[in-house]
Amino acid sequence: MRVRGFKSRHDAVFFLTLLAPSTLVISFYVLLIKVLSEYSAPAFQAFGPRLITGAEWDPSRPAYGLLPAILGTIATSAVAIVIALPVAVCVTVFLNEFCPKVMARVLSSVINVMAGMPSIVYGLWGAMVLPDFLKNYVMLPLSRYLGFIPLFSCTPVSGWTLFTAGVLLAVMIVPYVASLTIEAYAQVPAGVREALLSIGARPHLVCRELLKLIAPAVVGAALLGLGRAAGETIAVSLVVGNVNYIPYCLFLPGETVSALIANNFPEASSYPLMINALYAAGVALLALGFVLNVAGLVLMGRWRRLVGNV
Amino acid sequence: MIAAVIIVFVVAAAVAIVAPKVLTRQGATSTTTVTTTVTKTTTETVRVASTTTTAKTAAQATAQEQPSGVVYLKMGGATFPAPQYLAWIKEFMKEHPNIKLSYELLGSGAGIARFLDGTLDVAGSDPPLPHDLWAKHKGSIMQVPTLIGAVVVTYNLPGIGSKALNLSGKVLALIYLGKIAYWDDPRIQKLNPGIKLPHHEIFVVFRADASGTQQIFTTFLHKAAPDLWPESLVGKAPAFPVKKTGRAAGGKGNPGVAQLIKSNEYSIGFVEWSYAVENHLPIAALENAAGNFVKPSTESLVAAAASAAKHLPTTPLGDFSKDEDYIIYASGKDSYPLVAFTHLVLWTHYSRAKAEAIATYLKWVVNVGEKKTVPGYAPVPDSLKKLMLDAASIILKNSAG
Repeated sequence: MRVRGFKSRHDAVFFLTLLAPSTLVISFYVLLIKVLSEYSAPAFQAFGPRLITGAEWDPSRPAYGLLPAILGTIATSAVAIVIALPVAVCVTVFLNEFCPKVMARVLSSVINVMAGMPSIVYGLWGAMVLPDFLKNYVMLPLSRYLGFIPLFSCTPVSGWTLFTAGVLLAVMIVPYVASLTIEAYAQVPAGVREALLSIGARPHLVCRELLKLIAPAVVGAALLGLGRAAGETIAVSLVVGNVNYIPYCLFLPGETVSALIANNFPEASSYPLMINALYAAGVALLALGFVLNVAGLVLMGRWRRLVGNV
Repeated sequence: MIAAVIIVFVVAAAVAIVAPKVLTRQGATSTTTVTTTVTKTTTETVRVASTTTTAKTAAQATAQEQPSGVVYLKMGGATFPAPQYLAWIKEFMKEHPNIKLSYELLGSGAGIARFLDGTLDVAGSDPPLPHDLWAKHKGSIMQVPTLIGAVVVTYNLPGIGSKALNLSGKVLALIYLGKIAYWDDPRIQKLNPGIKLPHHEIFVVFRADASGTQQIFTTFLHKAAPDLWPESLVGKAPAFPVKKTGRAAGGKGNPGVAQLIKSNEYSIGFVEWSYAVENHLPIAALENAAGNFVKPSTESLVAAAASAAKHLPTTPLGDFSKDEDYIIYASGKDSYPLVAFTHLVLWTHYSRAKAEAIATYLKWVVNVGEKKTVPGYAPVPDSLKKLMLDAASIILKNSAG
């Protein structure tokens, strides 16, 4: 496409029509960054690096530190993806290799519907069911028998913990991640599978090879899932406990960046700099998302080189 | 191709830089809140927001634009008294069909902000105006306490049946400091000789959002146990030391706290009285300044307010910024200690039509409304009802011309 001298007037009009919405999309993004940086700047000026590395949240002084929330976001998202990814991969393989065709079709459309469901639905269900269940049947046994692992080292007093939030997030992102991996798996050229079968490969081997092929997509799905998990707000704030102390163990109540923002925003204007600190939290979330995505892209690039061009 | 992308970026950058300037011409002055930025998106509100005096004239203008003789009053702010206010408004409008009242649930802080920028005619605020803000508008701004609300301590304690716990400010302070960890701690047991308390860790619930309820609760702790609960831990979003123990969690709003307490055995927390009444939560009797254990009731709330009323300004033009201090943990043998006023904030001057409508409403609240409080609220004592009548006559007098 050349910008100057379109082949016809139609092309020029077409180009201009496309230009407007593209401009809009990018300008929203530029605006977002501009507003975030403008509003968060006073907080960064007032608190310096302590804003990110500090652990205090005391509006009366004021002192704002986002470290507990950032660590909480990382911890809950990590728990979520550690649980969700294997489940999603298993579902993918099961659907494609072992499940009867009709059932597979039903199951995969159910998963797609679930992936599109508003996350608050899961949140409410999770808040009702998960804390008690997880405390009694998962967290207490884990802390009793695997307490030597630092992350499981504390005895949970209640079910409202980072771990619960992580599990709830896992429940919320499994359908999403699974729908991505199922699609990737289905897109592998039939020839590859046929080639494998022709040399007498059993389903187990076929799966292994196919999974290797779609590994970049799996990593991509995982990162997209992580992004979703990190941004999830209301559902998490219902179960995470909302306690702003640095967690040393998963069975403690904690806080996430998005829950922090959601909880404090309505009354933030009554406190000096709180709005700014919350915008800074937004910046932190954005930065976290950026790092995750860049890491994901780099990883996927490596995978692609590894598997070659199939 | 590349050229096209560059063009897209350049145009985008230009739009991004120009757009906000067009949208908020006064962007530079909007340093405080986002809510104000939102209201400023239309150029009209931008003009209104510039000063409070123009805000008032603009408010008058809108009132005069109503030709049919119907007056619209926009109120809004605190969510805590909202159920009562909405009940009053419904009743009032039945009797006065030509006055249309609305009450938006915004939160106290946002209510005052919108009142000051002219979006609202009257603000509802749980805390009184801070001294500085009051001083800035001294003479043109008024406050009247309209209702007494209470905060109650509630718990989930299996095995004690329907018996109500007795608790003191000192014990609550120790619980929220994390220094009392078990229900059968001798300091709790001593207050409850008839109840066998379980040897179980206390799960402590607080508010995850900044809230007036926490301000009231922590003010009470500070006043009842000043040596244990320092002033630095008093506020809407205090850093409760018990959070460090892992035995505590925050819930968003009263529903969030109630949910946490209901689903965690051996938990304790605090919610607004009206919310506890609605949801049938157990309510602890609290030790008041006279050493009696009192449960919240209309009488015990009014007793507290009456004892505080002696210290309050005698005119709505006065500085109420200390009224929380007076009513919380007030003297008097029947006073419930964990109480607070909620206020209406008004200008002294409105357009003629609005002034009459507001005065009518205030008088109606005093004569009719205060007699019909919904469960969970108590009417202000007679000495304070006078403030509303005074405010009504000040408004009428100032808006006469």
